[in-house]
Amino acid sequence: MSESNEGGKEFGNAKLYTSVHGIDLEEFYSSGHRTCQGCESALVMRDFIKAAGPRTVVTGATGCMYVANTSYMTTPWVVPWMHTQLGAGGASAVGMAAGLRALMRKGKIRDEKINVINFSGDLGGGDMGLGGISGALNSDYDLLVIIYDNESAANTDIQATNLTPYGAQTTFSPTGSARRIMHTKWKKNVAAMMAVGHPNCRYVATACATWPPMDYMNKVKKALSSGGPTLIHTLDPCPKGWDYHPRYSGELGQLAIKTGIFPLYEIVRGEVRYTYDARKQKRTPVREYIEKQGRFTHFIEEDFELVQARVDEMWNDWEIPGVAPVKGILKLAD
Amino acid sequence: MTQNVAENEARKSGKEGMDVYRVEINYRGIFQKRLGYNISHGIVYAAHSEGKTAFSNGRYSDDPQRNGIPCANFAIVSGSLGEEELEAIASAKMDVDEADVVLVLDDTMAKGLEPWGHYGIRPINQKVVEGGTILFVSRRKPAELAKLMERRPFTYRLAVLPGDRSFAGLWYQRDDNTDIRVLAAVARVAPHIVDMESVVRYIRGKFNDEKRVEAAREAYDSVAVSEVSPDDGMVWPYEKPALPAWQDFDEGMAVKSVKRGFKMGPRGQNRNPDFRRGTSRSQRPVIRFDTCIKCTLCWYDCPDECFDPTTDGLFDVNYEYCTGCGRCAQVCPVDDCIVMVDELKFDSNSSPWEDYTVDPEEYVRRMEEIKGLSREVPSPVTGMGERILERKESVPFKPKGGK
Repeated sequence: MSESNEGGKEFGNAKLYTSVHGIDLEEFYSSGHRTCQGCESALVMRDFIKAAGPRTVVTGATGCMYVANTSYMTTPWVVPWMHTQLGAGGASAVGMAAGLRALMRKGKIRDEKINVINFSGDLGGGDMGLGGISGALNSDYDLLVIIYDNESAANTDIQATNLTPYGAQTTFSPTGSARRIMHTKWKKNVAAMMAVGHPNCRYVATACATWPPMDYMNKVKKALSSGGPTLIHTLDPCPKGWDYHPRYSGELGQLAIKTGIFPLYEIVRGEVRYTYDARKQKRTPVREYIEKQGRFTHFIEEDFELVQARVDEMWNDWEIPGVAPVKGILKLAD
Repeated sequence: MTQNVAENEARKSGKEGMDVYRVEINYRGIFQKRLGYNISHGIVYAAHSEGKTAFSNGRYSDDPQRNGIPCANFAIVSGSLGEEELEAIASAKMDVDEADVVLVLDDTMAKGLEPWGHYGIRPINQKVVEGGTILFVSRRKPAELAKLMERRPFTYRLAVLPGDRSFAGLWYQRDDNTDIRVLAAVARVAPHIVDMESVVRYIRGKFNDEKRVEAAREAYDSVAVSEVSPDDGMVWPYEKPALPAWQDFDEGMAVKSVKRGFKMGPRGQNRNPDFRRGTSRSQRPVIRFDTCIKCTLCWYDCPDECFDPTTDGLFDVNYEYCTGCGRCAQVCPVDDCIVMVDELKFDSNSSPWEDYTVDPEEYVRRMEEIKGLSREVPSPVTGMGERILERKESVPFKPKGGK
């Protein structure tokens, strides 16, 4: 795997960023959007389009980044962008890619690659829209699906989704005196599930927009140069839903990775490579990440221990640490 | 509009049956969402306990809210109309056209509001009626606030309830009595809407806590009321907001994208011209260009793309679009290079880099004077307040730059 070596400058035909000073200065997702102060998802948008360049069409499933980008009759997008329905992220990407392929085949537009990128939230991409995304990843079209995961349905004021972490407060799971923990489900492991189940999918990665610097943008470049359906799952700290001061978005993303709660890796044709290997570094205790968020202020000692034990299990006992537990979930019957 | 005018005429002439009063509560989205609701609910409950009819509502386009964006609630109170009659006049409305009392829970909103695209920046006192009151929770003097607002052709009152802006998040609330203090202030400036007796009754019923009643009485006495005459205030510098109708949409409901365009220097990047975000800001980043090491991290981490790269390797900030989140101040590796400072200490959104290049030493001197020596650092969970750090001295001017 020469092309995915750490510190490599190229991947396929893509030139990777090696320094923040080398990042393009022009914006294709400009100012004037209706996101929260300190919004990490806005940086997911800004950075993928910066890495992809202007020859790109973008489709977005309903979610907070759709409403934010169409304040009444205005938009911050410089490139063509289309809104689609909550469960239709995958289908819209396939349709867009198929349409462009047909136009190029018929000679109606120049036969030169146009990137097709769909972004869907954790509800639109990893929860109710999962079927469409699965269809797109098993197609033979050249497209990229980005699941921006702020761990809730943030547009409609924070409802729980299947990607909401254990114990978090949402409007569906408010803490109370009779029951402290209302959200008792663990976060769905979307990226690994998609990688395992889709033989056509060329590239799967997890990322955080701003940390490590350039990591996410380079993953977008790698995905777009893979020549087939690809998926990136980003963790986006959300000041509104996670209830922390907008100033600390970057720090929380960093902490999610350093505590091992959100593993950073990429899977290229079946090979897993960690882009931040939490096994080699000393993992930060999860408490440091959890106690900085208002959605977890009801946690007591045993809750911290439970989450810590789960994260330890992820890294110590899973066959592919942090990515997928195979034998822990599936066993051959006697 | 005409309906409201008719109501006002009726009210002024003392006609029975048309005593409809409106309170507009302006607050910062999410940060003060619960606070805003507590206040509008409090007005309704207190008015009910006087035997009046009342209900409250939120402005239609404000939800889903975003952190910091200006939002509004309304409470509508009538002494003589029944519930159905009052609802027929005032419910199912997206916005009120005018208000007898305008509450402002964060004084930086005095510089104008831009709640949603294409509304433009509108003055905070736009809805206040002749003889009405605008009430700020603020540590500022009334005269300082009056000069930021639009000049109106009539006299109205400006009241200031001394207090800091009370910010919290969706889940962890801050219980600092701001809600009941504001209710008491409303009773002080508009006893015809709710009087102090009913506010006290509401507080006792909800909290059963005499300390809170005491806090409310203290707030009642501490409100400073002054008059704003037609000579006070400024000629509004922004275009009057206009909302396009459905006929103005392009074919297929398409929205025009931002035209591609970039060059180095201040305002060199093309941005969304119809929706600027600056009025979401309570604090702005102040940059010491002389100590900057050109690491690019402020520009790289800015979620609103406000930083403009300049030819000398520095990054100018476009305050028209900056929402004041503070990420740049947090990520900046240089001591005291980017600092968040209260928005009301500034009167212009012009390019700080241009000011700096004209006279670097003068720019640094002026900024250090505005910043002073205390630095406000918010705790990670917003509702837990902030720490005030005192510096011993400011970083001296570096004529040769930070490298």
